[in-house]
Amino acid sequence: MTAAMNSSFETSSLLPAVATGDVRAFEQLYDRHSSTLYGLLLRILTNPDDAQEVLQETFVKAWTNAKMFDSVRGSDVAWLISIARSRGIDRLRSRKIRGDREDEAGREVSSSFGFIEKRTGADDAIQSQEQRAVRNALSELPEAQRIALALAYFEGLSQSEIAEKLGEPLGTIKTRMQLGMKKLRESLKAFR
Amino acid sequence: MNSHAELESIAALDAIGAATAEESSAFRAHLASCAECRRARDEYEEAASLIARDLDPVVPPPDVRDRIFTAINRSETEGEVIDARNRFGVSRWWMAAAVLFLALWGWRELSVRVIREKVSTSEAELHRLAGQNQLLTARNEKLSAEMAALASQDTRTIALTGQQVSPSASAKVFLEPQQRRAVVFFYNLPANPSDKSYQLWILRGDQPQPQSAGVFDVTQSGGASISIENLPLATEIKGLAVTLEPKGGVAQPTNTNFFVAGST
Repeated sequence: MTAAMNSSFETSSLLPAVATGDVRAFEQLYDRHSSTLYGLLLRILTNPDDAQEVLQETFVKAWTNAKMFDSVRGSDVAWLISIARSRGIDRLRSRKIRGDREDEAGREVSSSFGFIEKRTGADDAIQSQEQRAVRNALSELPEAQRIALALAYFEGLSQSEIAEKLGEPLGTIKTRMQLGMKKLRESLKAFR
Repeated sequence: MNSHAELESIAALDAIGAATAEESSAFRAHLASCAECRRARDEYEEAASLIARDLDPVVPPPDVRDRIFTAINRSETEGEVIDARNRFGVSRWWMAAAVLFLALWGWRELSVRVIREKVSTSEAELHRLAGQNQLLTARNEKLSAEMAALASQDTRTIALTGQQVSPSASAKVFLEPQQRRAVVFFYNLPANPSDKSYQLWILRGDQPQPQSAGVFDVTQSGGASISIENLPLATEIKGLAVTLEPKGGVAQPTNTNFFVAGST
């Protein structure tokens, strides 16, 4: 992981400048967050071509809809992630409708591992304090909660689909996801 | 109905797209009236982004960046074209509005002109009617005077008879001596030529020259009437006679061809 890759945690908002048509600000926005978004889209779609197309759609939408961004509500990166994830899930669902068996085969393995990947010591060394805090917060979640959140967030599965997939009662899945999200919300305070 | 705590829990699921359609609908309806839940929504969405931010970033291929900047340049150009179209559209609307305004203004001006012409015509008609009214008033006064003259107990009647040039003609003079006025009615006189007028003369005992008593025209009916004011004293009137004179009358008769004549 490079320093450039970790730039997602920059705090100054670029979107207000992008909203005015500032191309330089948009270039900085891309440099700052494209790696985070591309990593997310690869995680959702697994296919690089699809991930690159959706990444392009995400940034074009960010360029055209920057005026709708409200910095009081959240960060640049959270807004971009919301767009990228939403479009990524849409693309994933359309592929499922087309019956992409190859995609489904690869996804079984991916979803079973949750979203915390193993990292090397070198990676950890260049992580910012904030990023380490995120990882600590996520690592503190019980695995059952992490898996439920991963299936919803990366796979776009509904509560009932997750319950069916994991063979758990629907209420249990809902509670797990709510508890997991509450812990993540609490962990945000450490970054502010 | 969901409690506030339940709705806030839905915010957690909604942020990762795991809320059901019903839950999302109820939550979004609740947001409008609950600042606390709006804050919860924002914080959960930010928290959800942590899941993505925890992933290892992957640098996209360089051509993705090129494609994105090409796309936004194209969208900018298209946006300018759209803006231009919109501006043209707006200006087209303005032009249409201007044409409509001019048409309405022109119509209004035309209406005002028509109304002015109507007012002018009405004023002219009013003026004409006022003139007619004055004429009728004068006629009424004349008729009233004639009626008074005819009805007075003192009124004397003098008959004028046709002479050589118009033997069938005749006239009656109703003379009111005290008021020194008279009304004369003519019958069966030939219509006077357009360049001539009949003129009534008073033959006076105290003057050698006849005195003009008035000028009148006779139509095809052969009838006419004339009122005379400021007559000499009745004792001074010897007789009356009518001659045909140049249009408008003359100071003294130009001929002795009497159409009707009579003595008192």
